[in-house]
Amino acid sequence: MRDKILAAPSELDPFSPDRTRLDNALTRRVNADPDSVERGLAQLVLTIVELLRQIMERQALRRIDGGTLSEDQVERLGRTFMELDKRLEELREEFGLTEEDLNLDLGPLGRLL
Amino acid sequence: MIELYAITDDPTPPDPPLRAVRSDGMAVLYAPAERRAVTAEALWHHEHVVEELMAGRELLPVRYGTFVADPSAAAEALAGRRDELAASLDRVRGAVELAVRAEIREPEEADSTESGRDYMSAKAGRMAKADLVHDRLSPLAREHVLRPGPELLRAAYLVDRAAVEHFVSLVRRLQESHPELDLLCTGPWPPYSFAGEAQ
Repeated sequence: MRDKILAAPSELDPFSPDRTRLDNALTRRVNADPDSVERGLAQLVLTIVELLRQIMERQALRRIDGGTLSEDQVERLGRTFMELDKRLEELREEFGLTEEDLNLDLGPLGRLL
Repeated sequence: MIELYAITDDPTPPDPPLRAVRSDGMAVLYAPAERRAVTAEALWHHEHVVEELMAGRELLPVRYGTFVADPSAAAEALAGRRDELAASLDRVRGAVELAVRAEIREPEEADSTESGRDYMSAKAGRMAKADLVHDRLSPLAREHVLRPGPELLRAAYLVDRAAVEHFVSLVRRLQESHPELDLLCTGPWPPYSFAGEAQ
């Protein structure tokens, strides 16, 4: 992997999850094993929810940027996204999933961002 | 059982154990293989084979783990999508894939007393940084793909072979002028992210 690095920060630590990325890439599929089917399903559903969250967040940021929202509306939007973020993290933890686990390749769907 | 590595219109035969099966000016490069456990080593082996093939010819990489029964099944699959694959090959001809990830150096905000407005402006700040990097790099690429991920930016760029050095030096310059960011650029990779149907 090292010889594929063309430019990197002096300390690679910010990307340390990369060290396990290859293993993740290999397991980045929905696990259909009957014993863990619930976790596999949760992984798929949460991946889609996370994608939707990111799309909605971008949309919200554009609307705020457009300046058509009141202070109050911005505050409410922000609180909603904050809460959503927190809930998603709790769900992720409940199913023992990492942030990286929610990067299933969704094909063309993943390019909606 | 055979494992597929690449699709090309280059007539040069690959080195053994790789072989080519041709159909209407296009070829699938493959090797006899048994289905085996998925390991990091196996994935890297596939990657090395594709990279070596890429050094000598224009190709569409086939993703790891693509097995078919025999060469005639591969030829049949090729014939069925010939025009689409030829168009995809033209799309990546003369280019490689460079991957860029960016992260921002800052203490994690996540303050529970934070207001909704602060939360959104922190998000907007992150998005502006990601745009800053992407907007500088994307003009140097033929195409790009942005991917969702926990980082500030996770992107793949399709870059002309001749422009790779320029692209990398731009990443370095961005890194120097933005010490608050961590930029990681890897490659050159076979154009995996651009080998499918054009958007």
